[in-house]
Amino acid sequence: MNRTAKLILALLVLLAAGSAAFLFLRPAGEDHPVASITLDGRLVEEIDLTEVQEAWSFTLEGESGLTNTILVEPGRIRVDHADCPDQICVNQGFISDGAEPIVCLPNKLIIQITGGGEALDAAAG
Amino acid sequence: MTPPPVKGTRRVTLLALLTAIALTIFMIEAQLPVLVPIQGVKLGLANIITVYAVFVLGPGDALLILCARVFLGAVFSGQMMTLLYSMGGGLLAWLAMVLLRRLLTRDQLWLCSPVAAIFHNLGQLLVAAGVMKTWAVMAYLPYLLLSGMITGLFTGLCAQFLIRRLDRLGR
Repeated sequence: MNRTAKLILALLVLLAAGSAAFLFLRPAGEDHPVASITLDGRLVEEIDLTEVQEAWSFTLEGESGLTNTILVEPGRIRVDHADCPDQICVNQGFISDGAEPIVCLPNKLIIQITGGGEALDAAAG
Repeated sequence: MTPPPVKGTRRVTLLALLTAIALTIFMIEAQLPVLVPIQGVKLGLANIITVYAVFVLGPGDALLILCARVFLGAVFSGQMMTLLYSMGGGLLAWLAMVLLRRLLTRDQLWLCSPVAAIFHNLGQLLVAAGVMKTWAVMAYLPYLLLSGMITGLFTGLCAQFLIRRLDRLGR
């Protein structure tokens, strides 16, 4: 192996280690999770998951006509049903922290969980 | 080292054959169930052909095969939305491979593929960020970097074996 190859290999290993370290070491969980649901770049719903007492669900329809049914439970949220062919957002299951959002690419839907603090303050102010 | 350029009917036939092989691999892989519920994580076996083409046939012909496969793949699978993501990822990966082709020899092809896979995932995420109008999708980047490296290494090794076998056939 020449120097270039070794350099590229070293960079790859470093990048892999960096990603793995990031995934393992990041702080887990939000103590006050607020789910914000974005459809095609517009914020359509903000749900304080700590204040959810009973499970409920609702359906959102994107401009392409595809629908996502979202299920909200105390402290967590998921996509329960989707019209899209790949069903990745459904298979992802519940999320309860800000680690990664649920993304439905065909419907341009994103469910993201934020710490809540600032968003609530902004709403209250 | 580099074989003489293929021309005329032979070239058209070769490109068509490689496109057909890549498309077949792509369609079969699309039938496999999704193992990891994260957008963008997949084996990308069809890229064995792309890596092979970049190193053996050159960047131009590889681009032709890539574009034809991505377009026909989107048509055949009936998901035209994937065209955008595949093109964004494919073109960025192609660019990375064209640059790496100057730095690496044909025996180090397996090393080129994971880098290309990473750029493929990066391109997809950039397109996704544009389509969804948010940078939130970048939360997937660490997962995609890891998975891209693993799947890229796998397809790279496949392409490496392919090149070795075909060289031994002596054309």
